[in-house]
Amino acid sequence: MREGWSTAGITALGELLSPSRLTGTAARMSVQLFLVVCLWHALYSDTETSGGLDEGQAVAYGVLAVLALRLRDTDRWIGRDMVIQQIEFGTIVYWFLRPLAPWRYYLRRAVGDQLYGFAWAAAGYVVCLLAGVMDPPASAGAAGAFAVTFLLGQSVLYYLVLLTDQMCFWAVRNDSAVEILQFAQNLLSGGYAALWYFPGWFQTMSALLPFQATLSVPLSFYVGRLPVDDLPRHLAVQLFWVVSLAALTRLVWRRAEHRVVSQGG
Amino acid sequence: MRDVQELVQGPGGPRRGDARRPDMRVTRHGDLRLTRWADLRLTLRIVALTFRAQAEYRAEFLLKVAFGVAWQVSIIVFAAVLLGRFPGMGGWPSDAVLLIAAMRMLSHGLFELFCGRATELSTIVQAGKIDAYLLRPLPVYRQVQLSIFPSNALGDLLVGVSMFTSAVVALDTAWTPLRVAYVGAAVAGGALMEGAIFTLLSALQLRLPAGLSWSRWVEELLSTFGNYPLKILPGVVNGAFTFILPLAFVAYFPAATLTGNTSGLGVPAALAAAAPLAGLAGFVGSRLLWNFALRHYTGVNG
Amino acid sequence: MTARESEFAIEARGLVKTFRTARRRPGALGMLRALVAPERVSTTAVADVSFSVGHGQLLALLGPNGAGKSTTIKMLTGILTPSAGRASVMGIVPYRERVRNARNIGAVFGQRTQLWWDLPARESFRILRDIYGVADGDYRSRMREFDDLLELSSFWDTRVRHLSLGQRVRCDLAAALLHDPPVVFLDEPTIGMDVVVKEQVRLLLRDQVERRGQTVLLTTHDMTEVERLAERVVLINHGHIVLDGTLAEIRTRFGSGWRVNATLVQTEPATGRCPPGLRVVRQDGARVIFEPDGTDGVAPPQALKRVIDRYEVTDIHIQESDLEDVMRAAYLDDRADRELDGELDGETVA
Repeated sequence: MREGWSTAGITALGELLSPSRLTGTAARMSVQLFLVVCLWHALYSDTETSGGLDEGQAVAYGVLAVLALRLRDTDRWIGRDMVIQQIEFGTIVYWFLRPLAPWRYYLRRAVGDQLYGFAWAAAGYVVCLLAGVMDPPASAGAAGAFAVTFLLGQSVLYYLVLLTDQMCFWAVRNDSAVEILQFAQNLLSGGYAALWYFPGWFQTMSALLPFQATLSVPLSFYVGRLPVDDLPRHLAVQLFWVVSLAALTRLVWRRAEHRVVSQGG
Repeated sequence: MRDVQELVQGPGGPRRGDARRPDMRVTRHGDLRLTRWADLRLTLRIVALTFRAQAEYRAEFLLKVAFGVAWQVSIIVFAAVLLGRFPGMGGWPSDAVLLIAAMRMLSHGLFELFCGRATELSTIVQAGKIDAYLLRPLPVYRQVQLSIFPSNALGDLLVGVSMFTSAVVALDTAWTPLRVAYVGAAVAGGALMEGAIFTLLSALQLRLPAGLSWSRWVEELLSTFGNYPLKILPGVVNGAFTFILPLAFVAYFPAATLTGNTSGLGVPAALAAAAPLAGLAGFVGSRLLWNFALRHYTGVNG
Repeated sequence: MTARESEFAIEARGLVKTFRTARRRPGALGMLRALVAPERVSTTAVADVSFSVGHGQLLALLGPNGAGKSTTIKMLTGILTPSAGRASVMGIVPYRERVRNARNIGAVFGQRTQLWWDLPARESFRILRDIYGVADGDYRSRMREFDDLLELSSFWDTRVRHLSLGQRVRCDLAAALLHDPPVVFLDEPTIGMDVVVKEQVRLLLRDQVERRGQTVLLTTHDMTEVERLAERVVLINHGHIVLDGTLAEIRTRFGSGWRVNATLVQTEPATGRCPPGLRVVRQDGARVIFEPDGTDGVAPPQALKRVIDRYEVTDIHIQESDLEDVMRAAYLDDRADRELDGELDGETVA
């Protein structure tokens, strides 16, 4: 139990120990929120509704997207604790020398990072709500649907990031993979702009990929663009992605371990 | 990287007798330097070496080029979606808005090609490479830029060039020689301005690993807000993007000058027209500051 | 801590490790070929290694770079699975039961750190305390001990990335020993340390072995360290064990062991009247160096007597040969043997 907390808290501890990083994060987040709010208000100055979203919904969506992207923004790179760095510096061997399986260590670190990011996002959310920058959830049902799908969406995101990290065990470099994932995540999840604005073919394409399950679905429930009646269908899709990605990454962990023990760290 | 080391210093480093070598000259301070021609050749040889090193990992190389393309296309899609959905855009016609996006993208491709390594300087710092660069008789900043071949810039440029071409063709204007020269200068100035911004931010990374978060964030801001008329945003944001993060000089001001949409820029039209010069001045200034920061570099251990 | 079943703390029996890597020929054609039909080359890093270490022993694993030392350690720590042979550490096969084995061992790979680079070193200790489940009381007393011996408290609140190499490796040592493992593997632990710190580390290791009865397997290129610490050494080269014994045995086998340095009263060529059983190594005016010629196994005291009997001397003493020289001879000697056997053809050697 205690071990779980102290492993999960590594990133948060590193951040809390350097006040300049905290103020930096707060500054970036505030400016980003301000800009996004300005942008959506400006875009809607001549338009009533677009893509089925009115101005209030668009602003709420934009704010939530900034906050949600913040969740995984905490940079483990600074702590030199990303898989790619561990492999590059040869320190990955220590993951295999401790009485804590590498996958478990990875999971704890990731959950810890996501919780830390969540604390920021939640704080930002409360501030925005109190300041009247954005609307509360469309209804109680929408709030519930948002909470459930958001949690599952974060699980999908965890597995997607894990998959790119696992690639490092085979490819000497995974920069491109990570960049492509980030790009896909930001664009196809509806992080930059709600998928509702995009053409039909684009929406069809993202419906076939796991990314929109991470952000677009929960956020659309929040602003009421998706009716709560649709919840079961979206839950089923999210569960499908969680289960299949979990199975896939588990398999890859096993192969990665095998690779380490036959090739050395 | 030993190859590069040898290229730079020759086996065993520079020797006094090297002054007689045809590719060496003695400066007026009595320092031994490569001649300009040899200097250029050396730079090109390092580029060739790093290119070969990148091409070794074929999949990664192609992915990188593809990523450059995909990234830019996504920005186009994003801009196109906004443009299609929200036609207002501060009274700018859509061909003029397209020109902003196209100029920025081409500038960005050039920036990536020549100065792109500044964005991720922490990686180089963390690996302790700066210490090695400081030992070699070449400018550290140039060695940073030469450290990796910018494969992704190839993709960026590919999209940048094609988008720029189509925007120029689509633009309803007479292309006089003066305008052609101006648009060329503006694209170069945009690249320099982007270079100035990231060079300045990378000076932060020389000391603080967290500087990387700032660079990445600014990169995101540039691609989110750099592609359409900033005048749609409130004045305070406009001012910030002009005087704090000079994003307006990258493509918005020169495009406004070219297309004559000079109302509501927030600055006099003459200043907006001087954007290419601002880019040059910004870059020179940022390089001086960077060198200053380098003199206070403290190194990494462990 | 399980199993004192085995009489040895560490046992290696016929360990072999072969790596398979793709070889790429230069040029475009080579690139194409590597894509279509990659050429696989196997490299034998460890060819045949057997040794055992008793409980509470300190063993130094010596050998030139690329001899197979690190690969051997990786197999014993459970990171690598051997291609053939068997290893056991405290009665556990490390690569089969990695997690169980992990509780029994501590390891430092001198050039790599296990500390969290963005946190103060002390935070890393706390995290490791929780990962290994060390009780608070034990943790505190262990930290006090390490601080006494390694002076950690002067820098353990500094972020790891700001530590000097010597400070960092000291913290890494403490991190590896925190859970009081019965077996400790140290791969070049004193790299980058100054003489004072090296001495502190030696004291710590001696203390671990003598007082706590820990078993230590150490690789190093520092011969002073070997002389000060190791009662037993295993010399390994090209993946084979060349010698398993004491330092004295290495000296007798690869070094001349000792020499007689004498200063004669009169400058005369010493070669002509050389005492039996000795030969002249070098003469520089009145100063002559003798060494045993190997004919009658003369011992140092006899040799002194023979020299004094034969010449008039103003100064005479026995000089033990330098361990560095002995090791150089050992490494080179082995290479000469193998070159004769035609085994040194590049690819078979890591």
